[in-house]
Parts: sequence; structure tokens; C-alpha cells
Amino acid sequence: MTEQRKDILDMLAAGKVTAEEAEQLIAALERDQAPAVAGHDARPKGKVKYLRVVVDANDNGEPSRVNVRVPLQLLRAGVRLAALIPPQALVKANASLSDSGVPIDLTQLKPEQLEALVEHLDEVTVEVDSPDATVRVFCE
Amino acid sequence: MPQLVTVKVNRPDRRPIRVWVPVLPVVLVLFPVVVLVVLAAIVACVVFRIGVVRALGAAWRVISALPGARFDIEQGRSAVLVAIR
Repeated sequence: MTEQRKDILDMLAAGKVTAEEAEQLIAALERDQAPAVAGHDARPKGKVKYLRVVVDANDNGEPSRVNVRVPLQLLRAGVRLAALIPPQALVKANASLSDSGVPIDLTQLKPEQLEALVEHLDEVTVEVDSPDATVRVFCE
Repeated sequence: MPQLVTVKVNRPDRRPIRVWVPVLPVVLVLFPVVVLVVLAAIVACVVFRIGVVRALGAAWRVISALPGARFDIEQGRSAVLVAIR
């Protein structure tokens, strides 16, 4: 909740404005915020179809490049498939991860959380620059 | 469903290999194997108490979502490209 919206609700609770006036103020606030949010996101939402992973590296003076393009639909389908993994397998996977020094509890990961993550991947851009390698993860 | 899988392999000092695999004819040729794999998957689902219909549906979704995937790996003068259309 934004600070301005909270102020409007406080004014409503204090009886300084009526419910209709508060509704009009919130509507005006949303109108003002909509273009600002659109301005941040230069890419057209809903148009992205692929997750791209591009790695440019230099191994012992030999340039190497990995360029992977995965359809987002495939990630969504993978999430649905992963939701079928039985709990006893997740417990074994947790133990293996913990032994490898990755203490992640996979049983706490819900399919809907993963779906939400995939839904919002189009807003994600990860760039890692190091002297030997450059990694870029983005959607297109 | 994928229609064509393209595999390209470039090796230094050798002729590049390009293979185009039409998926449907290959699946038809390997149909007995596909049936066996599906039966094995159904048995595995029953053993591990996973909904057979849900599992087959999810697997089909994964296969249907494959077109558009592309894996391109280059190192020096060697390169491997796998593209699914």
C-alpha cells in the first residue's frame, strides 16, 4: 500500500472525507500512478515469449559462448510437472541438497509460488560482469 | 508439438554436421518404443501414487511447449546448436 493511499484511508477513518470522496481520491491516485508504472517498463507486457540466457566467457584465451532460449510456456509446463513430485522424493532431494551445502527446503516451495515467479520473469533482467565472463538473463 | 529438431555440430578441421530430424515420422517409426515408455510411466505413477492423468497431461504440456527452444554452445572453433521448431 502506498503512503498516499494510506493517508486517504486515514482521512476516511478520521471522518475528514466521505467514502465517495475517498473513492474519488484513490481513483485519481491510480490514474496518476498508471503512466509512471508504464514508463518504467519499456518492454510491452504480455509480449515476451522466451527466457534467454547468454554467457560470454574466455576460457584460457579461447572465447566461448552459451546462448540458450527457452520458451516461457516450457517453464510453466515444467512447474506443473514438478508439482507432481511425491513428498518422499522431495525429502530425499532436500537431504541431498543439504549434504551439498544448499540448505533449501523444496517442500516449502508451492506450485502457485513458482507459477507466480514464472509469470513475473518478463520483468527480470540479470547481468553479471566479471573480467572473464559476462552472463545475461532476460526475457524477449 | 515439435515438428523439426535441427542439430548442427561444428568441429575444428572437420566438416560440420547438420541433422534435421522430423519429429512426427521418427515418433511413428519408434511407436512401439513410445508405447512401452508410456506404459512404464503409467506403472511408475501407480507405484509412486501420482495421478496418471495429471502426470500424462503435464508431460504432454512440456512436449507441446518445446517448439522455440534453442541451445547454442560455442567454444573456440567448436560449436553445437540444437533448435526445436
